[in-house]
Amino acid sequence: MTPAPLRRATVDLAAYRANLASLVARMAPAQVLAIVKSEAYSHGLEVMVPEAVAAGVRWFGTVELEPALRLRRAGLGDEASMLAWQLGPDEDWAGAVEHRVDLGVSTLEQLEAFAAAARERSGVALVQLDLDTGLHREGCLPADWPALVSRAVALRDEGVVRLRGVFSHVSETSADDDRDALDRFTAAVAEAEALGAAFELRHLSSSSAGMEHPERRFDLVRMGSNGYGIPVTEGVTAADRGLRPILTLSAWVVRTKRVPAGTGVSYDHTWRAERDTTLALVPIGYADGVSRRAQHGVEVTLRGRRYPIVGRVAMDQFLVDVGDDPVEVGDEVLLFGPGDRGELTIGEWADLTGTIPEEIACRIGARVPRHYLGRRA
Amino acid sequence: MTQDALVTVDASALEHNVRTLREHVGDARVMVVVKANAYGHGAVPSALAFERAGADMLGVADLDEAVELRRGGVQLPVLAWLHAPGETFERAAEHDVTPAVSDLAQLEAAARAGVRAVHLCVDTGLSRNGAVEHEWPELFARAAELQDRLPVEGLMSHLANTSPEEDGRQTATFRRAAGAAAAAGLAPRLLHLGASAGALAHEGTRFDLVRLGLAAYGLSPWADRSAAELGLRPAMTLTAPVTTVKRVPAGEGVSYGYVFRPERDTTIAVVPVGYADGVDRAASDRASVTIGGRRHRVRGRIAMNALVVDVGDDPVSVGDEVVLFGDPEHGHVGAEEWAAAAGGITYEVVACLSPHLPRRHA
Repeated sequence: MTPAPLRRATVDLAAYRANLASLVARMAPAQVLAIVKSEAYSHGLEVMVPEAVAAGVRWFGTVELEPALRLRRAGLGDEASMLAWQLGPDEDWAGAVEHRVDLGVSTLEQLEAFAAAARERSGVALVQLDLDTGLHREGCLPADWPALVSRAVALRDEGVVRLRGVFSHVSETSADDDRDALDRFTAAVAEAEALGAAFELRHLSSSSAGMEHPERRFDLVRMGSNGYGIPVTEGVTAADRGLRPILTLSAWVVRTKRVPAGTGVSYDHTWRAERDTTLALVPIGYADGVSRRAQHGVEVTLRGRRYPIVGRVAMDQFLVDVGDDPVEVGDEVLLFGPGDRGELTIGEWADLTGTIPEEIACRIGARVPRHYLGRRA
Repeated sequence: MTQDALVTVDASALEHNVRTLREHVGDARVMVVVKANAYGHGAVPSALAFERAGADMLGVADLDEAVELRRGGVQLPVLAWLHAPGETFERAAEHDVTPAVSDLAQLEAAARAGVRAVHLCVDTGLSRNGAVEHEWPELFARAAELQDRLPVEGLMSHLANTSPEEDGRQTATFRRAAGAAAAAGLAPRLLHLGASAGALAHEGTRFDLVRLGLAAYGLSPWADRSAAELGLRPAMTLTAPVTTVKRVPAGEGVSYGYVFRPERDTTIAVVPVGYADGVDRAASDRASVTIGGRRHRVRGRIAMNALVVDVGDDPVSVGDEVVLFGDPEHGHVGAEEWAAAAGGITYEVVACLSPHLPRRHA
């Protein structure tokens, strides 16, 4: 017999496909690269990639190389290209050559190592040059750019490198800063072309910039949070963008308790019942990704109504004050979802707990089984 | 998953902590709590270390966690106390797991499933799991009727740690529960109430068995006493290599939002660990790490897969090991300090680390 659930993260794959298909249509003729880093924002890499392919996505960004190789070895997303750019000193350069993974190269050392692996295997290194236009993480600084480009051109001429692309990240700090980044990018591309480079793909923008600034799309837009229905621009909801949040986090009431006025609740008794009331025990806690910052009155939804979390959120559980309403063991508690059943959206949950929706999605823990709806691929 | 980041767990520290704590608790038995992936340390290898160290029992929240331990070859008795609605306890019987039950429905289901024994869980003031006082007579009477085929091995509750007075009231309530159980004809041999704090200080909360959580991992349950002062050794170290080193001119922004703009030219090191790995974004621009034994600040916003460290004019190279946190006695930043930087508690720092991060028990 299947045990009843304690907790569940439901992923709406139909909504994911619809979000991506809509983005693919809206970004055209620019292509869409779907960001699937961190296990596809913890939705499940191996499940999400084939769904994205079904929605028309032909580029994936895994950020690190290992997940791209994992996908290739599993034969997932075979019809698509993959790009990784956060590279360690001892990367599996040969694996990237063998499995046709594009690497975003920031330094001469990375370029030489990747090219050497291609030379050794009589293969081709798929190179995209990563330029730092101000974010100061990965990416080649403008001062080092001519040397990197020149060497890439030489390796291309040798036949071991295919110069697939050039890209950068913008910081999304302010319009001025982002315009500076655009200017630096445009100048660096022109400089590279003057040095003999020709790029198949230029890309600068991720989710929000791609939506708001068509002139910054170039040939490809990297879509992260939008695909998951969680736009990151402040004050912009998924609905504003024609997108739908795809993740619902639930847990099931495991205990109800009628308590008298004055009863203290959870660690340190930070909350006391002002009058006789009913408490519902919800078996999901901070180890499952429910921030302790949710303990100051964030509301969850039971039977279509909102009720506050009371007392401290513990490692495995929290309590909800349902007043005099009828609530039973086995009732589903919605923490957040698309909002159709009166529940908070993940964006609202993030605002109330002082963070961003991506952090909420990524930190849902291993004890929360993922449940997929509308699987097509 | 970040390929090169690594959670190293010093198994000898886990064993040392349990042995040390055992000396504190006198004749009481010791349960080590290994829920939430052993507070992030890796459930099975940590449980095996505690087994080697002579723990008497292990505790987890739910049956999935208990079954994982059994599948990993853990032999010790395992207690689980957080159960799904309508739980049948068939898995508990199959895998020799002892459920703690809070109500009649759970008690009846455990009896039907034929589990080896149960503990009865009572609420003495935390208002979470456990039968409240007016439910005790019925629960205890039924448990007494069933005890020929379902032994009642233990009676448990959990403290709120609100204040010594409140804990004292809870302790008195727990004694009443023990009295009521005895009056109903039950003779649970393991009464347990206190957790790490009880083991280390509050003798009156110890009874027959003490549940060790945070302290077993070498972390202090109190803000004002360090692990070292308690004779404990933090077992976990989180490391990652530097992947990028960059000289940044004064006034340039770093990472998303340009929260950090250095006042003078400086060198930054990019470390491939971010909030998806469980590093709290709230620690952005506040936490510190060590590289080559020297402390440096995390600057700018912690991103999903990366954070940036300002190393000033220190010589740092790609591939250098960054210790995010570890044992302060070895010069590392402690998990407690990361908790403070994020405005949270030490438990979160370790228990919320991503299960995708590789763990190495050494």
